[in-house]
Amino acid sequence: MKKNLLLTVWIVLILLTISTALVSNLTIATTVSTIIILVLSAIKFLGVSFYFMEMRSAHIFWKYSIFIYLFVVIGIIIFILK
Amino acid sequence: MKTAQINTKNIAYPPGGILLWIIIFLELFTFGAALIAMVLYSKDEPEVFHTSKLLLNTGFGAINTVFLLTSGFFMAKSVESFKENDLKKATRFLKFTMFGGVLFLLLKSVEYYFKLELGITIGYNTFFSFYWMLTLFHVIHVLVGLVILMFNYISLKRKATIILEDFEASAAFWHMCDLIWLLLFPVIYLLF
Repeated sequence: MKKNLLLTVWIVLILLTISTALVSNLTIATTVSTIIILVLSAIKFLGVSFYFMEMRSAHIFWKYSIFIYLFVVIGIIIFILK
Repeated sequence: MKTAQINTKNIAYPPGGILLWIIIFLELFTFGAALIAMVLYSKDEPEVFHTSKLLLNTGFGAINTVFLLTSGFFMAKSVESFKENDLKKATRFLKFTMFGGVLFLLLKSVEYYFKLELGITIGYNTFFSFYWMLTLFHVIHVLVGLVILMFNYISLKRKATIILEDFEASAAFWHMCDLIWLLLFPVIYLLF
């Protein structure tokens, strides 16, 4: 593993967290802001699972399972809220 | 100290072990279903959910996200050092990991204290029933994770034998707490 990869991922995750909070505070609740907030959270979820939990080196079944889980849960929430 | 190489490309050996990943998915589906239920209920009482969300401190939620992500980063560094057989570093990073978890719990306690001071308990309204159940259930996971990490820390300090798969499984459980929080934070604190 490249020495600074984990640090880079951590910095990106923190920036995404700040962005999520800003999007929520700067805009009124609309479908677009809801989608932005949930998509940013999904990216953070992928960052933690693929880099911190090393799932990028796992069998493709596990990688697809994570994507499908996120697609289903986030998709249903957006569908209900829209 | 034993370390072993595991072929994580094999479907039966995801990092952390297949049994733990089955548990992780069960937990994720449980929390996911509860969040979907919360969003469904919000359609019946949009005003209640909106005014209740305004009673939450988004700053506390965001800072707690930073605590857990930072803790997760140190956990990943600890596993990396463990694999490199640098156990001194692995122990130090594990200590930082636990510190992040303790900070999360302290801030959560402060948040709970303010809610209880205002009389906002689990029966206050539908929004706060979900808030208390989901966040408390998550806090229990963090507490269990901290106990598991403490066992690892003590074993490393005593130079007892830990196999890589067990250490990775502990790390995966801890990261699962991150994953759950990354779903709870936007839905409970930001959406409504």
